[in-house]
Amino acid sequence: MRFVLVLPLILLIVSCSKNKVEPLKKWGFNYDENFPDPTYNFQNNQLTYERFLLGKALFYDEYLSIDSTVSCATCHEQPHSFGGHSSQFSIGVNNQIGTRNSPPIFNLAWSPTFMWDGGINHLEVIPIAPITNPVEMNETMSNVVQKLQNSARYRKLFKNAYGSEEVTDEKLLKALTQFLAMIISDQSKYDKVKRGEASFTATEQSGYDLFVQKCSQCHTEPLFTDYSYRNNGLDQTFTDLGRGLITGNSSDNGKFKVPSLRNVELTYPYMHDGRFFTLSQVLDHYQTGIQQSSTLDPLLQSGIALTSSEKQQLIAFLKTLTDYELLGNKWLMEPHN
Amino acid sequence: MKWNWIFTLIVAVALVSCKKDKNTDENPTTGSVQIKLHHLWDTDSLLLDSLYVHPVTSDTLSFTTFKYYVSNIRFKKTDGTWYSVPESYHLIDLGNGSTNSLTISNVPTGNYSEISMLFGVDSTRNVSGAQSGALSTIHGMFWSWNTGYIMLKAEGLSPNSTSGSYAFHLGGFQGPNSVLKTKNFVLSTIANSSVTGSNLSKIGIQINASNMWNSSPNLATVSDLQMAGAAANTMATDFVSGWTISYVNN
Repeated sequence: MRFVLVLPLILLIVSCSKNKVEPLKKWGFNYDENFPDPTYNFQNNQLTYERFLLGKALFYDEYLSIDSTVSCATCHEQPHSFGGHSSQFSIGVNNQIGTRNSPPIFNLAWSPTFMWDGGINHLEVIPIAPITNPVEMNETMSNVVQKLQNSARYRKLFKNAYGSEEVTDEKLLKALTQFLAMIISDQSKYDKVKRGEASFTATEQSGYDLFVQKCSQCHTEPLFTDYSYRNNGLDQTFTDLGRGLITGNSSDNGKFKVPSLRNVELTYPYMHDGRFFTLSQVLDHYQTGIQQSSTLDPLLQSGIALTSSEKQQLIAFLKTLTDYELLGNKWLMEPHN
Repeated sequence: MKWNWIFTLIVAVALVSCKKDKNTDENPTTGSVQIKLHHLWDTDSLLLDSLYVHPVTSDTLSFTTFKYYVSNIRFKKTDGTWYSVPESYHLIDLGNGSTNSLTISNVPTGNYSEISMLFGVDSTRNVSGAQSGALSTIHGMFWSWNTGYIMLKAEGLSPNSTSGSYAFHLGGFQGPNSVLKTKNFVLSTIANSSVTGSNLSKIGIQINASNMWNSSPNLATVSDLQMAGAAANTMATDFVSGWTISYVNN
């Protein structure tokens, strides 16, 4: 009699605790088995939870900007898969407006270069660009190091992370890198379909077939970019030379890095200058809006033919690339001090 | 009495030999070399905030900043073998006199007939992410938008510039316009550098900054250069052509 009572009670407790601790991703540099090897490894930047926490504190702190108004998260918001929040261009201190759209910053550990023009060659040195850009945070690295050194909170965070209160730019950058590298998007419906955990609807499947046929040459699976620089026919003459600014080579003018399409539903507006606000506008561009120029990508010479029902199918597929687990990942959320 | 003498002698010998054993510096395996960089403007000493006239362009100018990188210092022994100094990165800053003097310790003892150094930071360290010491980004010698070290930063004032000031940031570590230049100095024409462990061998090098503009446009034409390319490469080549060995003191 007693036994009969206890057993369901145990079952209840077990099932309750199971429901409570929903197995979101465990902390750590874990990624989908279908992903290739990352380009960033932690060989010279030993991953620890304390360093990750320091990186997270830095990522969300406006203190990094000259007047404490802009943090990394200002232009890289988790609800938008760490991309810009609906504004065409990035907005920095004193409401200064940049020249390009803030890209989402997930899966950086797989990227060989960074920024729309690929001007940055290493994950660890990315933060220097927004910190020192006059229209973003407008700080100097030496001043940021000094400010953090003067902060009791950061002295403690650095001590926890590195065993010493001494703040250096190298430690700061490597800790931020640990946070950035951990922003991984690999839990979309697409990923679950690939792993056999879910299945596409008929419309999504048709969209996927179209995608493979017409888009995947540049937006290569599973990261949905081949990391090349291409001119996708936005303009006949270029106000922003893009890759050409970096290489100084006119054959690179008007080329920008192929962006990943993961979370594309959330990363509007689109293109390096945020000129399109909807996916439908983007597909219209590829269908009828291609502008000819000497560096136009050969694959886009005559645009991409799509019927209106094909467009709807394609958009339905693109929405399966939204990673709701990333948007709700508690490890990455703003800390509350 | 005789025994006392013998005893004293034994003790004395023992003491001497003990001393010899303790003093391991008798056969040192390494020593130190000091490389002193003497900055010139033509024949004058180069100082910040002093007025100079360029011998070719006739521009009048003064410097508020003059900083550059030297790396990969190597020493050539008289037997033809080279010693490469590990982790050899130096930021020379005219605004910080102590940086003009590079003391290289742990150099294997021997006679050296040649030294070699690189103007700038080698290409590997331009693609290696966050670093410390001379390669820390707090020195303001790093391009954030197009990754790479600023190998030389010369800024100042000039009435010949339309803006009244000028800024030259020389960089670029790859391709035909890399500003990295290896410079070899033959010491043996003056004297071999003798590293013995007990002395400090001193090598003097003159750095004539005016050479930078020997084949570049005057400041009325170009007063702001902050990207890699042929113009930066020309200035870097000319700058390094103004490096000469001046003395070797052992």
